[in-house]
Amino acid sequence: MNSLFYALPFVMVAVLIIMGLYTVLFKRNLIKMIMGVAIIQNGVNLFLVSLAYREGYVAPIWTSAPDVDMVLPTPHALTLTSIVIGVATTALMLSFVIMLKKHYGTTDSHETRRCKE
Amino acid sequence: MNWKMSRVVRTVTDVMVVPIIVFGIYLIIHGHLTPGGGFQGGAVVASSTALLIIAYGSFRDYKKDFSSVESIGLTLFIFLAILGILLGATLFYNFGAGTGGLFGGRVAEGINPGYINTGGTVPLMNIMVGLEVTAALSLILWMMAKSSDSMEVEA
Amino acid sequence: MSLDLVNASPAFILGIPLLFAFLTPLADRISKELRDAVFMIGLLLTVLFVAVMSYEVFTAEGWAYVFGAEETGEITRFSFFRIMFVADGFAALATITVAITALGAGIYSFAFMEGQTGMEKFYTLFLLTLAGVNGMILTADLFNLFVWFEVTSIASCGLVAFINYKGKSVEAALKYMFISVIGGLFLLLSIGLLYGEYGILNYFAIAESVNGGVVDRVALSIILVVLGMKASSVPMHMWAPDVYTESPGAVTPFIAITSLGSLFVLFRILFVVFRYSVSTAALGGLLIILGLLSMFVGVSMALKQSDVKRLIAYLSVSQIGYMLLAVGVGFSTLENGDYATFGALALEGGFFHMINDGVYKALLFLSAAAIVYSTGTRNLNKLGGLAHRMPYTTMFFLIGGLSIAGIPPLSGFSSKLLIYKSIYLYHPILAIIALVVSIITFALIGKVFYNAFLGPDLGLSKGEVPTTMLLAMGILTAVVVVFSLFPNYVVAEIVVPAVEALGVTA
Repeated sequence: MNSLFYALPFVMVAVLIIMGLYTVLFKRNLIKMIMGVAIIQNGVNLFLVSLAYREGYVAPIWTSAPDVDMVLPTPHALTLTSIVIGVATTALMLSFVIMLKKHYGTTDSHETRRCKE
Repeated sequence: MNWKMSRVVRTVTDVMVVPIIVFGIYLIIHGHLTPGGGFQGGAVVASSTALLIIAYGSFRDYKKDFSSVESIGLTLFIFLAILGILLGATLFYNFGAGTGGLFGGRVAEGINPGYINTGGTVPLMNIMVGLEVTAALSLILWMMAKSSDSMEVEA
Repeated sequence: MSLDLVNASPAFILGIPLLFAFLTPLADRISKELRDAVFMIGLLLTVLFVAVMSYEVFTAEGWAYVFGAEETGEITRFSFFRIMFVADGFAALATITVAITALGAGIYSFAFMEGQTGMEKFYTLFLLTLAGVNGMILTADLFNLFVWFEVTSIASCGLVAFINYKGKSVEAALKYMFISVIGGLFLLLSIGLLYGEYGILNYFAIAESVNGGVVDRVALSIILVVLGMKASSVPMHMWAPDVYTESPGAVTPFIAITSLGSLFVLFRILFVVFRYSVSTAALGGLLIILGLLSMFVGVSMALKQSDVKRLIAYLSVSQIGYMLLAVGVGFSTLENGDYATFGALALEGGFFHMINDGVYKALLFLSAAAIVYSTGTRNLNKLGGLAHRMPYTTMFFLIGGLSIAGIPPLSGFSSKLLIYKSIYLYHPILAIIALVVSIITFALIGKVFYNAFLGPDLGLSKGEVPTTMLLAMGILTAVVVVFSLFPNYVVAEIVVPAVEALGVTA
């Protein structure tokens, strides 16, 4: 039972990443594809945070902390950096979609394939 | 941009903008003690810009100012990092910690209530990042609002 | 504590482009001339520090640079928890390649991008890409690798879409962005797997405890696919032709150099982290298969192109194959006695080909951009007779083209000869395939040269391109000529230290 409890976040990670990949691969709307990327991103972030989790440990902040063991701070730092990068990439991709909509008049990924012509 | 939300929304926005900005600045300044820091605080401050854009629609062209603040913040950040080398240590060396200057207090050992005047260059870098993120996110929101608005007109 | 600029040069290679990237928008407020000057100073300072670092590595020895440490040069157990940069022969080889290309592309962009608005952002993105690639190459920390990977992706996507009144460049940038971001996220996943197992992110610290279990293999496969995709190796090459074709001509060599940078990182991770925990013969075989596929598919797709930039883009995919093939052969012989006979030679050939390829590919892309700049068309069926009005561009294209085709005495021949010699001993059929690909490449270069430059003057060209563009191509041509004249010297002074730096001694 206990091991199942610990495996649950990782199951969720797999579900999120597969959901995100499905969205990117099979949805035609570019905005939805970007949402799929964001879902993958959240899955990976959840994976990093789950790695750091230990039962009964507290967050690694010394300010007014209770006197118990603390979890490893590195995965949290990695997750924060990943979130910051995620904001930048999402904003850039959305800007590209806005420009594509202006040029092509559509956000359908099947109709925005004109490089090969 | 020429939409305008109702009087209720605009009044609530006016009331809420100041506390949001103050809370964002609190997060930035306390970044080395509690969860928060430059990016998180900057994002909170930038959310006030989002509120203003949504409530008032028309928004003066601050593009150049945002862009300048962003560049200044980042330049000072990298400069603080390189100053570590120039003072004889390495990149990102924390030369301000424990010197007694601004944010130069000694960090207390173990669990402590949190002394704000510690951390050396870390709080300074948090402030620079806070400036940068505030300006950059505001700029992104403003540009997106502007371009999606002009798209409606074309269609 | 004392100021030691030589020891700090890896940090400056990263810090100077970052600082000047953020200074250019501020300088633009004052005047356009100051903005251009700031960009140029940043670029030249970066090249200078690359030269300082490389000179120190080649004459003395490499060192590790630890961020945030109080004392320079001191490595303790604690250093492995900080961000670490390694300045060794391999990093020197890679940063030299990046610096030469960046210098060419930077000087070229002054005249090429003239008249575009928002140039301060162009320079910012350019310097950020430079910092990102240098960071990827120099870092010895898996998470730092992810950060620089993403910085490179974001900045180079901005560069691809810079001329955004054309829908196609935005489309290419969005395609590149999707692939880079999803690739980057899976890279982060594999980093998480390795961190969860070993609790540390430094390459050297992981290499001490890596055991080659299932988790390691999954992480290694993900890293191989992601970096191979970024390096545009077949079958993960689908983004490359679109991006190389639609990006502004001045930055196309720079996008290509991010690919080479990913390849450098892939080789470093394979050699440093996973060398003792996986079967080198099997992994080397995989690299050989990827290399053969890239060579063959790249060159056969190039056969049917009528767009000059697209054709060179496919040739560039096929050149990536040579490096994968040569390094794959070298990697697969690490465990057995063949390393001394031909494995080291294969590695030397592969690494020499990387630096050669970075330079002559940049030259080819820039001269293709000069054609577009002067005539306004990329279609080979419409072009013709450009040699009458553009004699210098013709010469530069010829030198770059003969070098990519491996015609003696140019530099491409020297590195390909090393590759042929070594892979022939591994398996003769590989050398035959490599030769056939080389011959087809020569035929394609002949086709482009004949179609675009020879024949009667059709009056398409507005005349020779501006002087700064010629200067940029001239610098790259000079490098190609130097590499062609002194291949022994280059191999002994630059390439052999790189092979030795990866922990491989013959």
